[in-house]
Amino acid sequence: MASADKTINTDVPEKDVFAIHFLQSLSNLRIQNLFNSPDTTNYRVRKIKKAAYVSMARAAGGTSRLWSRALLRRAAKGNNKIVRFPRRKRKVTWKISSKRRRSDQRAPVVEDAAERLRNLVPGGGGMETSKLMEETAHYIKCLSMQVKVMQCLVDGLSPK
Amino acid sequence: MSSRRSSRSRQSGSSRISDDQISDLVSKLQHLIPELHRRRSDKVSASKVLQETCNYIRNLHREVDDLSDRLSELLASTDDNSAEAAIIRSLLNY
Repeated sequence: MASADKTINTDVPEKDVFAIHFLQSLSNLRIQNLFNSPDTTNYRVRKIKKAAYVSMARAAGGTSRLWSRALLRRAAKGNNKIVRFPRRKRKVTWKISSKRRRSDQRAPVVEDAAERLRNLVPGGGGMETSKLMEETAHYIKCLSMQVKVMQCLVDGLSPK
Repeated sequence: MSSRRSSRSRQSGSSRISDDQISDLVSKLQHLIPELHRRRSDKVSASKVLQETCNYIRNLHREVDDLSDRLSELLASTDDNSAEAAIIRSLLNY
């Protein structure tokens, strides 16, 4: 059980996992003929950004992390696709509203900063503070991996 | 009913452990954020760490935006400027 387990695992996959997922997303976009039309720049940028976040969420473990679940759910809403989320075998997770959150016991200074963090991390709104920080650590690692992958692509494609 | 009761008791039992976990997580976050990592002191307060985390996440989001912009421009142009560009384009074409 997570509460009895003192060691929290925030390992992320290697960079090439993120790279493979992102390249797959990009090649799907290319199949949709996105890169040939010249007058849809904003649409193109938004599609690439969405592909970046979705591929990052998939590379990071898909539905096994709270933030990646929230991200994928958010992305799926825009697609009008029916996405199945496997039922987790742990205890049923209720969405904890801010009134019932246990973390109100903690120091209010910490809670104010945590509230701002909740707005930044996907799915953070329902998380208790300790869970929020664990998810944040994982999220930050994955985000920096994704940024590195995208930087490598940009460097590779740029004129020398 | 019983599952709800037992989960609540589990939560109240773990709140004592969670405070230690919180300081552990705070130090983990501190190590992840480059700005705080440079100082190498343990005296950074939890709220400062969380604040810097927020800034760091916002910066990362901005970098993703910026890189998406540049990628969009680069992928739209079809000239191959280097061997690597050709390889990447061929990867994207399946």
